[in-house]
Amino acid sequence: MSNKIMQWVDRRFPLTSFVKHDLSEYPTPRNLSYWWNFGSLAGIVLVLQVLTGIFLAMHYKADVAQSFNSIQHIMRDVNYGWLLRYMHSTGASAFFLVIFIHMARTLYYGSYRAPRELLWWTGQGLLLLLMGTAFMGYLLPWGQMSFWGATVITNLFRATPFIGDQVVVWLRGDYTVGDETLTRFFALHYLLPFVIIGAVMVHLIALHMVKSSNPSGIDLADKDNIPFHPYFTIKDLYGLGVFLMVYFGFALFFPNLLIEPANNIPANPMQTPNHIVPEWYFLPFYAILRSVPNMVGGVVAMGLSVMLFAFMPFLDRSKIPGGALYRPIYRLQFYLFIIDMMILGYIGYVPPTDQTIVIGQIASVVYFGIFFILPFTSKIEEKWLRNRGLPAQVEALIASEELQIAQKKSGGK
Amino acid sequence: MKKQLLALALCCVASLAGANEGVKLEKIQVDPSNPAVKRGVEAFMESCHGCHSLKYIKYQDLVGLGFDKAKVKEWQGDWTIDSPVMGMMPDDAAMASFGTIPPELSLMAKARDGGNNYMYSYLMGYYTGADGVTGNHVFPASKMPDPLGISSATEPAQRAEIAAKARDIVSFLNWASDPHEQERFRLGYYVMGYLLVLTSLLYVMKNRIWARLK
Repeated sequence: MSNKIMQWVDRRFPLTSFVKHDLSEYPTPRNLSYWWNFGSLAGIVLVLQVLTGIFLAMHYKADVAQSFNSIQHIMRDVNYGWLLRYMHSTGASAFFLVIFIHMARTLYYGSYRAPRELLWWTGQGLLLLLMGTAFMGYLLPWGQMSFWGATVITNLFRATPFIGDQVVVWLRGDYTVGDETLTRFFALHYLLPFVIIGAVMVHLIALHMVKSSNPSGIDLADKDNIPFHPYFTIKDLYGLGVFLMVYFGFALFFPNLLIEPANNIPANPMQTPNHIVPEWYFLPFYAILRSVPNMVGGVVAMGLSVMLFAFMPFLDRSKIPGGALYRPIYRLQFYLFIIDMMILGYIGYVPPTDQTIVIGQIASVVYFGIFFILPFTSKIEEKWLRNRGLPAQVEALIASEELQIAQKKSGGK
Repeated sequence: MKKQLLALALCCVASLAGANEGVKLEKIQVDPSNPAVKRGVEAFMESCHGCHSLKYIKYQDLVGLGFDKAKVKEWQGDWTIDSPVMGMMPDDAAMASFGTIPPELSLMAKARDGGNNYMYSYLMGYYTGADGVTGNHVFPASKMPDPLGISSATEPAQRAEIAAKARDIVSFLNWASDPHEQERFRLGYYVMGYLLVLTSLLYVMKNRIWARLK
């Protein structure tokens, strides 16, 4: 019977072949490490955010006179409202943590290399959408930091040539951040996650075209690919279990750790907080913004600092596979970049002093420097490694990759 | 180059130390137990309610803590049982007497750096200066008169009694800022226990399934 129903469906919709091709028998490299768990984790965090968000929206009021109170209503009166709200606020941080690790893995293993450029660029688009959604969501509680954060960031659009002032008014719907801004941010904060879901589909279609990268840095032979189910369903589930322990550890035991105290004070346009800080995931970029004395320059630098990741397929000119795995200089650059990000994050957090401004400027120069020297270091490194003699294992990888490319060109498999 | 790196490292250390400026707060452990929170309610009603509101707490919530209605009736005065706990003093009277409007306290436990430690240190931070004027170490610009009388207390026993009272008030305000906190912790233990078992089983299963591969 069920067989007959499936046949009926399959004549009209490619259900069985889709499940086989893209889920159960989807070929996945067997050598993936746990660093490859973070893509599916990001998808699950997205679902968690959408679900908790929809239920929060049922009790939330986007109105300057009521927003702050409605959050307290959710926290105190709504059944398990406190759970929804803490899961959602912790979920935002969890989302960025997972995405940053996902990106760091891509950078470390050089997963952005051909043929995965489009996969990487759709990911870059997702990062921008995620940042926009998180930024707008942060206004909704209408606390002091919500208000002043939104004021500072929308104000940056004054850097737009010629029509800067008009753009800021257009974004806010008013001359200052107010009821109009709150209402439209709520509308967009509800809309954008669904745009993200669509963009994730595109990201997945791109992924299933080129398949997952793997630590070796080359596409493995067919025999080294294994079906997604059951091997990676169970591996992803195990990773999810570990993730959920960390997530619920924060959401249930330390939910206020990442909420600025000032955001428990209702927004007051007449009183600027002592020191305005964005959420932790924006801190490195915020530090770069503050490091440039001129506002337009700062905005350009901040925009560039986020967008530079997209250029990685062009900047990295080395043909040695495996990313940082077999490339000592690139590896050094990678770790330097991570440390630099953390320094920038710290500088973005503390109130600026003469010292921290200088440190921030040095760290910003290092940030951009790492990207800008990459075309040269990657080429020099490759030459040096080849002259020194590559390990047999790497030679084999390169040979195998060249063979595959040649085969694809000649049309064979 | 090495010198510059060293300077950079020293700068980092220096700015870390600098970030910790301001008064050192006393660290306390709030007592989330019901008796302590109830003692805190009584102390709050006696020393704070004259001026301060708890607009997200209703008189009904105090009945929920275990006070009987007659007792709550004394505090609520002309207000109804389901109205929020509003301060006794109107804003304009407070403005006239103190030059400021006393802040709302429902979320005070979360609205200041240091949270509970801040509130406790603030309440205990009053002193009588050489000129006989009362000041506060934690918040020198404070317009609030010493509510618990710590600045004039000299006897150790008296000071200890005030310290206990301050701690009870902080315990109550901590509860008021997040009435579901204890429920959340209890749920947390179950969730963590469940996830620990589930994840262990998933790990075992993962190893078994992967063992099929050679």
